Amino acid sequence: VLYLIWAYVPETWLFSLGLTYWPQKYWAVALPVYLLVAVGIGYILLFGINMMSTAPLNSTHTITDNFAKKQQQKEFQEEAIPALRDIPISEVNRMFFLPEK
Amino acid sequence: MAEERRFFSASGVPIALRRRQHSASCRELAVRGPRLQLRSLSAATSAVWLAAYGLFALSENSMVLSAAIFITLIGLIIYLHFVKIDQESLLVIGSLGIQVTSSYASGKESTTFIEMGQVKDVVINEAIHMQKVIYYLCMLLQDPEDPQGVSEVVPLFQSTKPRLDCLIEVYKSCQEILEQSKTAPQSS
Repeated sequence: VLYLIWAYVPETWLFSLGLTYWPQKYWAVALPVYLLVAVGIGYILLFGINMMSTAPLNSTHTITDNFAKKQQQKEFQEEAIPALRDIPISEVNRMFFLPEK
Repeated sequence: MAEERRFFSASGVPIALRRRQHSASCRELAVRGPRLQLRSLSAATSAVWLAAYGLFALSENSMVLSAAIFITLIGLIIYLHFVKIDQESLLVIGSLGIQVTSSYASGKESTTFIEMGQVKDVVINEAIHMQKVIYYLCMLLQDPEDPQGVSEVVPLFQSTKPRLDCLIEVYKSCQEILEQSKTAPQSS
């Protein structure tokens, strides 16, 4: 509300009220414009940050990570569902691509 | 014994896979991309020359035209020598190693050889690349002291980018040779 009053009431009225130290009225228009441009650039910036933080094709992060390297094997119990673990990519590939139909 | 099959790349251009078996433990797989098309070459040249003519019409400076000709020629040479890859091939020698060569359109060939002690496996990995998820073949390298960990990932066939059906063929061929060499490491 204060913002609207400041933007719309002419300067002479405000001076007559004794309130002289306000920012120039130029800023009443400039600040919203700045905000909208920042939002627009934020879209592009976020897109760019996402692209930059994607692991490149030749990094080991596409295959494994710290948690998978340090995982411990639980003992194998008969007739129980095997524990959840990260299967190495060689085994996964062999299972998917090698068997003949 | 050589056979050639046609496939498509990830971007839709037709590529060809050629398999040659040199001996029981040596195989060569070559993926050949399309040659430089005359229509794309003439389209690019006409676009550059039209833009140069537009600049010349605006600025009345005839150096623009000769500069455009030079740019076209030099650009074409640079493109053929450094950018346009005609064929990428993978030579798997069972007891020795794997050799990767890329041959450019100008005849230049760049070769990399990795010995078998450093090769852990050749796998098909999927990763996010430029707003797409693509399958690509990669070699997992290991440190000779640490056979459990992957020290480096080397992606193969980067510019021809075959699709999954072609990659499965290459993968099966490589795995046949790699199994032989991994299960019999002591035999000379």
